[in-house]
Amino acid sequence: MPILHPASVEGADLRGVWYIFFGTGLFIAVIVYGLIFFSLAVWRKRRRDDGKPAPQFHSNPGLEITGVVVPLIIVIGLFYVTYIREGVVDFLRPNPYAVVDVKGYRWAWQFQYPGHNITVNGNPNMQTPPMLVLPLGKMTQINLYSSDVVHAFWVPEFLFKRDATPGYTQHFDVTPNRVGSFEGVCAEFCGLDHALMRFTVKVVPVAQYDRWLASGGTAAI
Amino acid sequence: MTYWLTSTNHKSIGILYIMTTFFFFIVAGILSLFIRLQLAHPDSTVLNPHAYNEVFTLHGTAMIFLVIAPFAFGLGNYLVPLQIGAPDMIFPRLNLLGVMLFIISGFTIFAGVFAQGGAAAAGWTGYAPMSEYQIGTGAGQDLWIIGLLINAAATIMVAINFVATILLYRAPGMTMWRMPIFTWEILATALLILMAFPSLSAVLFELLLARHYGAHFFDPQYGGNAILYQHLFWFFGHPEVYVMILPYFGVVTEIVSVFSGKPVFGYVGLVLSAFAIAGLSMGVWAHHMFTTGAVANGFFSGMSFLIAVPTGVKFWNWIGTMWRGKIRLTTPMLFTIGFLLNFLVGGVTGVMIASPPIDYHAEDSYFIVSHFHYTLGGGSLFAVFAAVYFWFPKLFGFKLDELLGKVSFWFMFAGFNLTFLPMYFMGIEGMPRRVYTYPAVADLPWLNLLASVGAAIMAFAVIVFFVNVVVSKLAHEKAADDPWDAFTLEWGTTSPPPEFNFHALPPIRSERPVWDLHHPEAVKVE
Repeated sequence: MPILHPASVEGADLRGVWYIFFGTGLFIAVIVYGLIFFSLAVWRKRRRDDGKPAPQFHSNPGLEITGVVVPLIIVIGLFYVTYIREGVVDFLRPNPYAVVDVKGYRWAWQFQYPGHNITVNGNPNMQTPPMLVLPLGKMTQINLYSSDVVHAFWVPEFLFKRDATPGYTQHFDVTPNRVGSFEGVCAEFCGLDHALMRFTVKVVPVAQYDRWLASGGTAAI
Repeated sequence: MTYWLTSTNHKSIGILYIMTTFFFFIVAGILSLFIRLQLAHPDSTVLNPHAYNEVFTLHGTAMIFLVIAPFAFGLGNYLVPLQIGAPDMIFPRLNLLGVMLFIISGFTIFAGVFAQGGAAAAGWTGYAPMSEYQIGTGAGQDLWIIGLLINAAATIMVAINFVATILLYRAPGMTMWRMPIFTWEILATALLILMAFPSLSAVLFELLLARHYGAHFFDPQYGGNAILYQHLFWFFGHPEVYVMILPYFGVVTEIVSVFSGKPVFGYVGLVLSAFAIAGLSMGVWAHHMFTTGAVANGFFSGMSFLIAVPTGVKFWNWIGTMWRGKIRLTTPMLFTIGFLLNFLVGGVTGVMIASPPIDYHAEDSYFIVSHFHYTLGGGSLFAVFAAVYFWFPKLFGFKLDELLGKVSFWFMFAGFNLTFLPMYFMGIEGMPRRVYTYPAVADLPWLNLLASVGAAIMAFAVIVFFVNVVVSKLAHEKAADDPWDAFTLEWGTTSPPPEFNFHALPPIRSERPVWDLHHPEAVKVE
């Protein structure tokens, strides 16, 4: 998977936040590293040992206040970016095209399409992981829950995960924007075979999705 | 031997803490090598799944509760009374009880290895309801819970002792505002422990009741709440990471200052920032729970961002301390520079994952694994070595070899970055943490192999350190009282200090009494 190449509309949105933070972090790191290496290069005792102690200054109130105000401004900016984007991502939009009930259990996933009598069950010993079929370009609402311990539903190419907590059903939506197969994993450690708790997200064109749904999940994908 | 186990002297207790943490550091380090051996290839079978889960659970638990945090308690035990001109800690017997309970807690946790069904295997976080039921089939998880309950009690004891000692036992002239920054950071740490650790005790006790008496606090099948566990755990767990970093901020401050030949720049700012970090850290616990959908992400995100401000102040002041100094690149200073470079990476990525839109991808992935190893490994652990090289002559009366020290540093720095830098990319590419196997897709195989090679290099660096201790012991170059031209009171007595620390105290007129004594020409008359 190429780094940060999202396969959903929401993922593309989230990637923007990654870029802003990564850029800001790199900028700060370059400045701080620069100051540290400059100090080490210029103020070495070996280079300028005149037998006298270094200048014994204790503080510089102006500089110190700058050292508080500048980071404060930066984090307020970052918080603003976070807050705006998170509102968009967390907002559950009405009228989804598809609805899927996703259940995590030790150590596999189950996908149910309410109203269509389709149930896809996983099993950690299966050669191929269970498949979650989603329509391209349409909003799907996921209802996520767990029947035993805490799991987490993570599709790296959606840049998104949500915990499947027992007793606490979660809802979020996703709009795939690329056709293809994408790996999904359980991200929250859940015991012995946590590592094998994988699934595949299969994004197909809407017509094909509709045919698959009408066939009761038996049509070839 | 009897002396070490019965003496209430803060110096022998400090050394006992330090020796114990190094023992568990070796154990946890070997466990981490098993992790890297298992993950060097995608479908390795060095460890079976259950064994792998035990290994990373014990590695994490040991590094946090038996190495990084208690090393600071040992160092603080040794140094705080010396730095404030006191003859001992104020409650010597409580101190002995604390260190004994600490040692017992470590062996209790590891006793699980011999239990039927093996040691604890639920991760160092022991999330319920998973940990509420039998992980494995035996008593390993119970021993983990009981061990940590003992550990929490021991930690609270040492914290009470630090607070009382620092507030009440200072020498005449040693006002609060003349205390060394290390002592300040220990005070902030101790207060943080007193606020955070009771929550750990509570949640562990509830877990014990749930496992054996059907209390079901956390299992929704019986009306419990799984989120409650996470709240209680992280209410302790996030302050705990600051318990593991604040003392090392103190170590770094002392060393940067001494080897720049200058007083600490922005002393007041450094003190205030320690308390700002400690205070804010009590209000950020749920940033570990952004992906639950059950917490106010905005609030906890904002609070987490704010911690970057006092942490930035510290960096600013460390650079200000080096500025126009006369920097001596000794081994302790090299490890300190390593700390600065590594911790900055951990700090910047920490701000990234404080943003929920980023955390939705990064949470519970190798991105997180890398982030906290950069803060607690590249940060705290490098400061542990800086502290050992710096205070070794004071503790044991002879110096460690500088050349071997520098060799050890360079291998550790290279090995550390080779191990953990690739993990950011593994995380972004979709590798979850705590997996014993992963698919051979994308860059995961070679990134993992690189990380494993780095781990081997770090192991070599640690071996060089122990060789250094042996070689230096044999050479036994006697240390002067003040071998580094340092500042604070511990350097104003013999190496090692006498039973009650000082035959006579130098006058205390600033935060650097020993420097004032040795450089009368530079003392300004105020």
